[in-house]
Amino acid sequence: MRIITARFGPRTKSRMNRRKNLRPIAHFTIPTWIFLAATVLVPFVYGIYISFLNINLASFLPPIFVGFENYQNVLNAPETWSTFRITLAITFIGLLVQLPLGVILAVALHENLKGTKLFRSILITPMLLTPVAVGLTYRFMFDTDLGVINWTLSLLGVDKVNWLGSQTSALLALIVVDSWQSIPFVMLLVLAALTAISPSLYEAARVDGAGAGQIFRNLTFPLITPTLLVITMIKIMDFLKLFDTLFILTRGGPGNSTTTLGLWTYKTGFVFLELSRAAALGVLVALITLPVYFLWRKASKGVR
Amino acid sequence: MAKRFLAYGLLGVSSFLALFPIFWTISTSIKDRVDTYTLPPKFFNFTPTLKNYSSLFSLEQFWEIYWNSILITFGSTLLCLVIGSLTAYSFARKPKFTGRGSLEGLMIAVRALPGIVLLLPIYKLSSYLGLYDSKMALIFIYAGFNLPFAIWLLMSFFEQIPIEIEESARVDGASNTRMFTTIILPIAAPGLVATGIFVSLLSWNEFLIPVIMAGENAKTLPVLVASFISNRTLDWGPMAAAATVALVPIVLLTVAIQRWLVAGLSSGAVKE
Repeated sequence: MRIITARFGPRTKSRMNRRKNLRPIAHFTIPTWIFLAATVLVPFVYGIYISFLNINLASFLPPIFVGFENYQNVLNAPETWSTFRITLAITFIGLLVQLPLGVILAVALHENLKGTKLFRSILITPMLLTPVAVGLTYRFMFDTDLGVINWTLSLLGVDKVNWLGSQTSALLALIVVDSWQSIPFVMLLVLAALTAISPSLYEAARVDGAGAGQIFRNLTFPLITPTLLVITMIKIMDFLKLFDTLFILTRGGPGNSTTTLGLWTYKTGFVFLELSRAAALGVLVALITLPVYFLWRKASKGVR
Repeated sequence: MAKRFLAYGLLGVSSFLALFPIFWTISTSIKDRVDTYTLPPKFFNFTPTLKNYSSLFSLEQFWEIYWNSILITFGSTLLCLVIGSLTAYSFARKPKFTGRGSLEGLMIAVRALPGIVLLLPIYKLSSYLGLYDSKMALIFIYAGFNLPFAIWLLMSFFEQIPIEIEESARVDGASNTRMFTTIILPIAAPGLVATGIFVSLLSWNEFLIPVIMAGENAKTLPVLVASFISNRTLDWGPMAAAATVALVPIVLLTVAIQRWLVAGLSSGAVKE
């Protein structure tokens, strides 16, 4: 579209014009370069540098170069692997819950019933709210004695559950809270994908006598698969990032039983004050993100 | 018919589940201690009170912290809009130029990397430079972290402006800078407003940056809200009041930007 309209522009001296236009516009990105260099590029490189030192925030000794010692320590520490496994478990179960529910809600919204707009606005709200405040709210709702969740369960004859007291139930609670804030995101992206499907395809399928289930399996699902892949990659990155709600809800506890790799990096640096070791963990986390990042870019090319 | 019934049922139940925690926080915030610590829970049959709010507001640092949150949100949003609109405009108008690929790579890195990976070295660097616990430093870091999002969103608004408008301005001899400030920005004003609101939401909700980078001086609201949980005695009333104080501006803002909500929330996910 842009190429076509551009033809109607002034064509004389077009080459000189183009060069003249190009330079000032590349200039426009300089402030962004400066900002991202200061907040991303420099810190990232500096992070790699300190991962080879032995900085401890509680120590006043000048740091010395220790080579790969931090990496060795980190890779040999059982916590690294246990928190990695916990991250994987949360990611896996979280996706298993959030993808289907997000798709179902998107399909329901896509029916374009009366009031759809209102429903959509309501359903989006959770993803906008302050995660810290959300964590607090749920912590109250999950309270063993006074929580409204245990009270509802008691109406159904279920005994009190100490939700945040054991690993399994705490992970479950965590996934509930994350799902509450994340399902709207899945729903929105899937809804966009559904809207992009041409109605004539459905028409054709119906003419051919396909049932609703068949249409979903053979038409809708393949067409939203690229979007589902994108969502999966983004969610994997987000679970690695998970911090606010986790910090409020369980602080990784009891013990380290709900600590993810990201939270473990934070704890290593700011609770145990082993800054260099945390930096080494950070580099490993970045390495884990890398393949996901490439898959995300690849998958996002398949959308639209 | 059954299908419609099912869809309505589904949407109704999920809307209830989406709204209940918000309702519950607000209602807990206006309940007396006695009404909070009781079973069965009191949903409507209680006398509202503002006690929790007065005890929250009388916290020594409350207003200072609230002001910090507003200042940092506003400052970083303004920075994001000024810097982001320049870049978004050049992205929208020139598909290819030197350095665009690497810049986009950096932007995506911000989205992909867990904040802690960058904040560890940022913490160390800023304590060297004496920037720990500084509101100015927080404004800059927030802006850096939210910039990619602002650029992606603004780009989608700039792309909607027909290029003919620029071409006629160019014929009239307007320079790039003049054209940008006097023609493009006014047309894109609604987009700027919507982006501004989104970025301020992100800044307002931000927790990891201030929890690492702020001490007593630059503390923000989420840090205050979080600090309730580490107190020995869990006092749910003031806690719910603090949560409400954080949530209410968001709900109001989202009502104001209903139109752009969907575009904004999925921004950056599938964009090139």
